Amino acid sequence: MFFYYVDLAWRSIKKTPVLSLLMVLAISIGIGITITTLNVYKMMSFNPAGERSDELNAVQLWSQGPDSWDELNSLVTYQDAMNLRNNTLPKRQAAMFRTGMALQTEDVNFAPILESIRVTDSDFFKLFDVPFLYGNVWDKSVDTEPAYQVVINDKLNQKLFAGQNSVGKVIYLNRKPYQVVGVIKAWDPKPKYYDPTNGAFNDTEQIFVPFSLTPIEEFDVWGNTSGWKFETMNSYSDRLNSEKVWLLYWVELPNKDAVTSYRSWLSNYVAEQKALGRFTDKKSAADSVKVSDVATWLEYNHVVPEDNKILVGLSALFLSVCLVNILGLILTKFLKRAPEVGVRRAIGASRAQIFAQYMVEVGMIGLLGGLLGLAWAYASLYGLSAQFEVSKGLTHLSASMWIITPSIAVGTALLAGLYPAWVVCRTKPSVYLKSQ
Amino acid sequence: MLHIKPILSSLLRSKSGPVLLLIQIILSVAIVANASFIIQERLALMQRVSGVEESEVLTFSLFNFDPLIDKTAQNKIDQQILRGLPNVIDATSTNMLPLSGGGWSSTFNLGPDPDSAKSTPQFAMYLGTDHTLETLGLKLIEGRNFYPHELKDNLDSPSRLAIISSALAKAIWPDESPLGKVLYEGKDAQITVIGVVEKLQGAWIDSSSLENSVIQNVDYGSSSYMVRAKPEFHAELKDAIKKALLAENPNRVLDGFKSIEALKDSSYRDHKLMITVLIMMVVLLLLITSLGLTGMVMFNIQRRTKQIGTRRALGAKKRDIVSYFLVENYLICLAGGVLGGLLAIQLGQQLMKIYSLPMLDLSYPLFTVAGLFIVTTLAVYLPARKAANISPATATRSV
Repeated sequence: MFFYYVDLAWRSIKKTPVLSLLMVLAISIGIGITITTLNVYKMMSFNPAGERSDELNAVQLWSQGPDSWDELNSLVTYQDAMNLRNNTLPKRQAAMFRTGMALQTEDVNFAPILESIRVTDSDFFKLFDVPFLYGNVWDKSVDTEPAYQVVINDKLNQKLFAGQNSVGKVIYLNRKPYQVVGVIKAWDPKPKYYDPTNGAFNDTEQIFVPFSLTPIEEFDVWGNTSGWKFETMNSYSDRLNSEKVWLLYWVELPNKDAVTSYRSWLSNYVAEQKALGRFTDKKSAADSVKVSDVATWLEYNHVVPEDNKILVGLSALFLSVCLVNILGLILTKFLKRAPEVGVRRAIGASRAQIFAQYMVEVGMIGLLGGLLGLAWAYASLYGLSAQFEVSKGLTHLSASMWIITPSIAVGTALLAGLYPAWVVCRTKPSVYLKSQ
Repeated sequence: MLHIKPILSSLLRSKSGPVLLLIQIILSVAIVANASFIIQERLALMQRVSGVEESEVLTFSLFNFDPLIDKTAQNKIDQQILRGLPNVIDATSTNMLPLSGGGWSSTFNLGPDPDSAKSTPQFAMYLGTDHTLETLGLKLIEGRNFYPHELKDNLDSPSRLAIISSALAKAIWPDESPLGKVLYEGKDAQITVIGVVEKLQGAWIDSSSLENSVIQNVDYGSSSYMVRAKPEFHAELKDAIKKALLAENPNRVLDGFKSIEALKDSSYRDHKLMITVLIMMVVLLLLITSLGLTGMVMFNIQRRTKQIGTRRALGAKKRDIVSYFLVENYLICLAGGVLGGLLAIQLGQQLMKIYSLPMLDLSYPLFTVAGLFIVTTLAVYLPARKAANISPATATRSV
C-alpha cells in the first residue's frame, strides 16, 4: 500500500509542478540555512575528549589579590604549576604553554623556519591520547632532570626526514640540538581543547619539548601572560617568580572521589599559600580553586561564540517560517484536490487511508526538500569557508548531517502536512459528487 | 472607498489561509527586524576609523635566533636598512600591531603611590620610536613627537615619554590639556605625556577600550616592524626586505608579511561572516514569504473566479478587483506587522539579556513592516491583475 501511495504522490507532484517546486524550494532553503548554522555549531561545540571528558580536568586558581580581576583566569602562575607538579594524587598531570623557535636541521641548505612549539610534561601524550607512530615520549625522569629531547608530528617528520623513522635524529631549535625521541601520528583535536586560550580552532603544534627546560632555555611565551598588579619584569626569573599567569595545568582524575580529594588537596594548598602571604583576596581557600572537566572547560572558555548561538536560534525561527509557508501551500493544494478525494471516499477509501496517502505525499516533498537543502548547506559552507578562511574543520559537513538533515526535513514537512491532510480527509463525498 | 468591511468578513469566514499568512508575517518581522539590527550594528563597528594608514603600512615579524647577537644594536641597524629601501616612506620597530588581535595592554596610575592612586582606563601599550607617527600616518593634534635622542632601549628606564590618543586623554583629563601630565607605573617609573594623536586604535576590535592607546619612546626591537609604502610596492618590498635583512644576518626568520588592512580584515572576519549569513537569511526570508504569498493569492483567485466574475458582471471595475486583493493583504500585513513588531522587541530583549547585544532600536521593526508592505504589494499585485482580467462571461458560465 505504501508504494501505491508513493506512486500516487509522485503523480500528484507532477500534476502541479509549480506549486510542488515552490514547496520543495521553501523546505530546502529553510533546511539549508538551518543545517549550515547547525553544522558550524555542532563542530564548535564538539567535545574532542569523548568518554574521557570527565577524567580530564583543568585546574584554575584564584591567585589574584583583592579588587583586581573579577573572574577566574584560565591560566596559572609558574610557582603554582611547580607546586602542583609535586603532588602525586592525580594519575597523570601536565603543565604547558606555547612557544616558538627557529627550526633547523643538520642539512645546511634547509632554510630556518619559525615553528610554534608546545612546552609540556611527558604525561601530556597519555592525557590527551596522542597516538605515536615511532618511538615514544621522553622518559618521565626528564620532567625533573631536563634533557634536550623532542617529539615531532608526522607532518613535520615527512618534511624533515621524508617520513623515515627519525628517532635518534637531531633537530635544532634556536640553534640548540634536540634529539627526536618520538613521532606522533596525525593528531589535531578541534576545538583545541588542551589550550583554547589562543585560538580555539588553531592547528596543533608540530613540536613538543620538555617543560623542565623552561627555566634553562627561557622559552618565549607565545600565549597570553596576564598580571593583576604591576611587577617589574627585567629577567626571565622575574617572570618565573611573579604572580603573572601564563600556564595551563591539566590533571587526570579517574573518578568522582579522586576529583573530590584532589579539590580538597588544592584547598589545603591555597590555605598554605595564604599563610605565606599569597592569594590575598578575601575568598576562602575552598572557593579559590576550580577543577573543570573538558565539557565545563570548553563552556568556560567560550569556545562557541555567541554569534553562533544567535544564528542557530534565528535559523530555527527561519525554519518555522518555512514550515508555516509550506503549510499554506499544502493546504491550498489539497483543498484543490477535494473533489478527487470525494470520489475516492465514495468508492470506499477510509479517512485513515486518505490521511495516509496525503502524508506520504507531504513526506516525499519533505525528502526532496531535504536533499536539496543538503546541497544548499554544502554549497553555502563551501562558499563561506572559501570567502572567510574559516577553519576547514568547521565547514566540513559532518557525517551525522546526512541523517539529521533528511529527518528534520521530513519531520518539518509532516508537521506542516498534518493539518491539511486532516482537513482533506474530512471531505464529505456527497458535496463533490453532487456538483459534478 | 476601500470596502474594508466585506473584505474583513470574508477573511473571517475562511480563517486558515489568512491565519497562516499572519503567523508567517509575524515571524518574518521578528526575524528581519532583529537580523537587520545586528547587521547595522556590525557594519557600524566595521566603519570605525583606526587613525592608521591601513593600506600603506606593511608589517612583518622578525625572529633572531643567533645567541651572540646584540639585539639592541641590530635593531637600530635593521631600521636604518628598512628606511633606506626604495619606495619606503618610513619604518619603525614596534612591540605590537594595530588591529591585529594580539598585543600589550596595561594601565598606569595617576599618582606615585600604587596602593592609593587611581588607575587609568585600560589602554593598548605601544612601544615605538620617533618614526612611529610618520610610519602609521597618525595625526598629531597637540604637543610634539619624540626626538631621536630621547629613545630608550628597553622598559627599565624609570623616566619615559608618551604620546597618547585623544580618546584616552579625554577619559583621564576631561577638562585639562594632557601635555606635561605624569603617569606612574609601579613605584618607580614615571611617564610624561608630550603629545596627543587624534586617533589610534589598539589591537582588539571587540575591546571597550579600543580607542585608548599610549605610545612610549622605547625602541623595542627584534620582534615586529612596520614599513610604510604605497600599496603597489608591497609585493616587491617584501622580497627586498627579506633579502636586505638576511644579508645583514642570516640567523633569523622573517615572517608574517601583512598590511594593517589585511590584519584588520582578519580581525573583523567573524563580524563579516555574521553579516553575510544574516543578509542571506533576510533576503531568503523575504523571498520565501513573497513566494508563499503569491502562491496563496493565486489559489484564492482560482477559488474565487466565480465571485470575481459576478462582481465584474455587477459593475465592479478591474481596479476594484485589484484593490480588493491589495486591501486584504494590507489588513493581514498590518495585523502581522503590529504583532510581529511586539515579538521582535521581545526577541530583541531576550537576545540583549542572554548575549549582551544592545537594545533593539524601535525603528527596525517599523522599517521591516514598511519593507514588507512593498514586497507583498508586488507579490499580490501581479496575480491580482491577472484575476481582474477574468471576463465575467467565462467566470459565470458554469453556474
